Amino acid sequence: MMSRVLAVARNTIREVLRERIVLVLAIFGAALVFASQVLSPLALGEGKKVVTDFGLAGSSLLATLLAVFLGSSLLHKELDRRTIYAVMAKPICRAEFLMGKFLGLWTTTGFLLSGMTLMVLALLTVVHHETPWILLGSLLLTLMELGIVTAFVILFSSFTTPGLTAFFTLGVIVTGSFAEQILYFGGQGESSFVAGLTGAFYWALPHLSTFNVRGMVTHGVAVPPERIAFGVSYALLYMGAVLTIAGAIFERRDFR
Amino acid sequence: MPFLAAGALVAGADLLDEAGRGRFQWGGTDELLYYPSGLMVRQAALGYETAAADIAWLRGIQYYGEHRQTDMKFDMIGHVMDIVADLDPAFIQPYIFGGFVLAQEMKKPDRGLQLLERGRMANPDNWNLAFEAGFLQYVCRHDFAAASRYFTWASRMPGHPEYVERFAAFASEKAGNRGMATLLWKRVLATGNKYMQEIARRELRGLGEGVQP
Repeated sequence: MMSRVLAVARNTIREVLRERIVLVLAIFGAALVFASQVLSPLALGEGKKVVTDFGLAGSSLLATLLAVFLGSSLLHKELDRRTIYAVMAKPICRAEFLMGKFLGLWTTTGFLLSGMTLMVLALLTVVHHETPWILLGSLLLTLMELGIVTAFVILFSSFTTPGLTAFFTLGVIVTGSFAEQILYFGGQGESSFVAGLTGAFYWALPHLSTFNVRGMVTHGVAVPPERIAFGVSYALLYMGAVLTIAGAIFERRDFR
Repeated sequence: MPFLAAGALVAGADLLDEAGRGRFQWGGTDELLYYPSGLMVRQAALGYETAAADIAWLRGIQYYGEHRQTDMKFDMIGHVMDIVADLDPAFIQPYIFGGFVLAQEMKKPDRGLQLLERGRMANPDNWNLAFEAGFLQYVCRHDFAAASRYFTWASRMPGHPEYVERFAAFASEKAGNRGMATLLWKRVLATGNKYMQEIARRELRGLGEGVQP
């Protein structure tokens, strides 16, 4: 089973790389160096913090947007070109195919994110003569967050158009960032129905703030191993849940 | 040809934008006024609060620089630094910079100290914030007792430089608190470098403590 999944994943990686996303790495690197040279002198001694913040935020944002916009058309292209029939004719089930797509997309955007984070580390080493390895803790949790986003991309693309896939996924990202606030404000009202509904939303939505440790590492605080373990476990469970639903929907999808 | 046409259109749009800015005065730091508080900006930041804090910080510095070269009025500096603090409470420099501008340049020491105190609440282990608050109490409000308290607090925080204890001792002496001053100078004598020990001995002798020269 794994060999079939990995075959689809490898193919997906080739397909995504054909979009020349490596250019993104080059543009990001150039933008980072430019920002460092221009903004650091203006930051009144906080140049290192500014470069770290912008580097981590920029890499996370870019990787997430790439996952959303590249991933939203992945399945649709296969359906549009009818190549899905050739794939399904092979001894591979739909769930394995979907899993392969997920792994391929996550791997590619994950490498991009890692590359950008390493660029930030390199720049800080060269310009500020110190290498904050604690940024790697933030990288790991952001990778997990990216995995959840990718899972949602696969879920929505299993039954709707690329445009709606991107829209819904971005909606999940935004509401996932507000999950705690939704629960809080829902509980403030008098209606127990509303409180229950917002509670249900809270538990269904991904709690993306779990993976946000950028502020911590920027201020030189290492991410505790327990937090990393919790975040990774949460992400894997959540990704499993989303992909299970995606598989169930895709199983019933009529390709005509 | 199409690139030239596109370039000409963009240039035209830029000229129009510049003319609009001059006429209607849009853009600039006014956008900072539209945020009722940094908490609203924090919600909109969607997990990128520290980067948003840096943007607000850079904008605040530009605001200060622009007004320093023109009318020397920094009415919005407190609001800007509050936004930065809401977004990133562990960002120390805005508290200090904002506190000093409010106290020294705008002659509002209470507002400046309020900002520093906010920083101290969010970062209780930071010696620098306590030290700067003590400095403002000493220089702006001439409240030597309060300055002594802040300097002493700073001298108990980890990572403080040696001169903090000297400041604490000086302020205590100035406030008439000879007992505290003596204690602090004895600490400097025990832990300071040779230069500081000389000063400590001289001050202790002045306080009537018998110390060997």
